[in-house]
Amino acid sequence: MALINVAAREIHCKIVYYGPGMCGKTTNLQYIHSQVPKEVKGDLLSIATETERTLFFDFLPLDLGKVRGFQTRFHLYTVPGQVLYERTRVAVLNGADGVVFVADSHKGKMQENINSLRELAQNITRQNKRFADFPIVLQYNKRDLPPDVLAPVAMMDHFLGVNKMNWPRIEAIATKGVGVFETLRAISRVVISKL
Amino acid sequence: MDPQLTSIIVPSEEIAQIEECLARLVEDTGSDYALLLDKSGQVISSKGDGDRQDITALGALIAGVFASSREVAKLLRERDFRASFQQGVRENIFIALIEEQWILCIIFNKGTHIGLVKVLTKKATDELAAVLERVRQQHKARDEVLGSAFRTSMEDTIDLLFRD
Repeated sequence: MALINVAAREIHCKIVYYGPGMCGKTTNLQYIHSQVPKEVKGDLLSIATETERTLFFDFLPLDLGKVRGFQTRFHLYTVPGQVLYERTRVAVLNGADGVVFVADSHKGKMQENINSLRELAQNITRQNKRFADFPIVLQYNKRDLPPDVLAPVAMMDHFLGVNKMNWPRIEAIATKGVGVFETLRAISRVVISKL
Repeated sequence: MDPQLTSIIVPSEEIAQIEECLARLVEDTGSDYALLLDKSGQVISSKGDGDRQDITALGALIAGVFASSREVAKLLRERDFRASFQQGVRENIFIALIEEQWILCIIFNKGTHIGLVKVLTKKATDELAAVLERVRQQHKARDEVLGSAFRTSMEDTIDLLFRD
């Protein structure tokens, strides 16, 4: 639910990184935070457990500056991925304009990816939004895994229903920053086109 | 629902009324700060002493607290928690829900009595609910704001700032 403040000439959009536990959502935000120019980013806020697992969310405000006279701000959030925090994910997802679904490319994580994507579909639907029309970009993370455990892209496409849904899909290695900005560009474009 | 219908456009006139309402609330209660958020955590307007640099993070956290308490309410089969109060040694925060969509937050110190905050907040939420209902009803300004020229400029900015 983008917010457009005509008096202050500001536009705010909320983008949420969703996905199973340990798939690299926080790593995406950390990389973005480390790379964007100082004048664009705010502080990266993390509510995490002592073991650095996300407990509530990470939050990174990005200020894109003036676009046609409108100060444009993107707020990036992550959800906690662990199964335990299902209701917390619902809370963070509230009012999101778009979602980056980060999938783990480990063969053994395919079921977790599928479960998480199903849960996302349910949660979007519960917000009275049509899941099929909702802005979503998929990121296949950890493409640098050893070949014996790396799930082929075609297999992930098949299990996650990418072809049917026509979602943009990006291969990434978030720890090295590969594909991180490509993903951010893709979701930003989709969100803007649906404002 | 078409996602297009979920963007909220707050026109200048309504912003002025919201700001006036928040300013009055701060003055009448002797509070430090009042802010109005939408449920996704975006700050619509804020009023108070001095400039707070942390307002964006504050908005995200308060909306998170409220969204989380809404889920707690569901588990308890309560319709909603309409208000919450956080008491500190120096600063206190009172948060009230407006029409399921918006959150009013007042930050005040020990010089202000919570009872006064509650009473005047109730008055302010009624007033703001009427203004925000008008905001929700109106969609006409969107095309003036978000024309195709805007979208093209926006895409250029995205490509420029978010590059590898």
